[in-house]
Amino acid sequence: MSRKKSYRSKVRILADMMRAIQNGGDEGTGPTRILYSANLSHDRLTQYIEELLEKGLIRVVEQNGSSRAYVLTAKGMEFLREFTKIERFSQAFGIDI
Amino acid sequence: MMQEALYALIRFDLLLEAISGVIALMISHQANMAYQLTGEKRLSDLSTGFLVLSAGMFGRVVGTFYFFVIIGTAGLTPEAEMVRGIVTIAYGSARIMAYVLFAISTRRTIRKPTLANTPLMALPFLIDPNLEIVAIMILIIVVLQAMMNYFNVRTKFALYVLIAFSCLLLSHIFGIIALIEIRAYWWSQMAQFLGLISLLVMLIKAGRET
Repeated sequence: MSRKKSYRSKVRILADMMRAIQNGGDEGTGPTRILYSANLSHDRLTQYIEELLEKGLIRVVEQNGSSRAYVLTAKGMEFLREFTKIERFSQAFGIDI
Repeated sequence: MMQEALYALIRFDLLLEAISGVIALMISHQANMAYQLTGEKRLSDLSTGFLVLSAGMFGRVVGTFYFFVIIGTAGLTPEAEMVRGIVTIAYGSARIMAYVLFAISTRRTIRKPTLANTPLMALPFLIDPNLEIVAIMILIIVVLQAMMNYFNVRTKFALYVLIAFSCLLLSHIFGIIALIEIRAYWWSQMAQFLGLISLLVMLIKAGRET
């Protein structure tokens, strides 16, 4: 989106994180990449990753032994599809979410 | 014969209105779902706007049907006049209320009855020039907002919304013209119907494409 936004809703932040994770594919996406892609502070990132894990929208995959990476679950993919529909609908009426 | 044709047209008019009401209800439902997920209040206002519009459309269908039941059984009685008056105000107010909500969220109708041409009078049923003017003024704002949004995001979904609100604006302009030229009433109804169809296409395409 080309518009500048001063405020992102929580659901938008979660969706941005999930998109970053989706872009990582089956190998998973590490926290640093999610942090930069979703433009978050470290504390916020930790908090929201916990929330996504709790809700079963993402899961942890091991990458190179110790480092953690995340992939979307089927529920997460479904959520992202629904969010994309709602995002298009809202944007069509000029409503930012 | 002429009267039969007019009644057929009125039935067709009410069918279009009922379909438009269903589409408005679908848009309201989608906006409400979006509100439930995001908590964005403007989506709630948009949902309420389409719900009010839908209620007005269904109210007009039921009110017009009831009006014809009364005049079919008892003629153009004071009761029929009262029904027409109530539906006119309720329908026009519901639409204006809906447009105000559209304007907030995105930033039609009377003739003096004559016993000689009752069916013809029922065609531009519920056209009140004052309500039409108010609706036009609010819709100009809504269309301008939809236009600015389209030029900002340049998506086909925003274009469908711009087309829809422009059609609704056209329908009210034709509504005014219908007071002097009866054929404009059909252009008005068709413009409104096409506007709602445009929203339906947007709803379907936004849901299908990944």
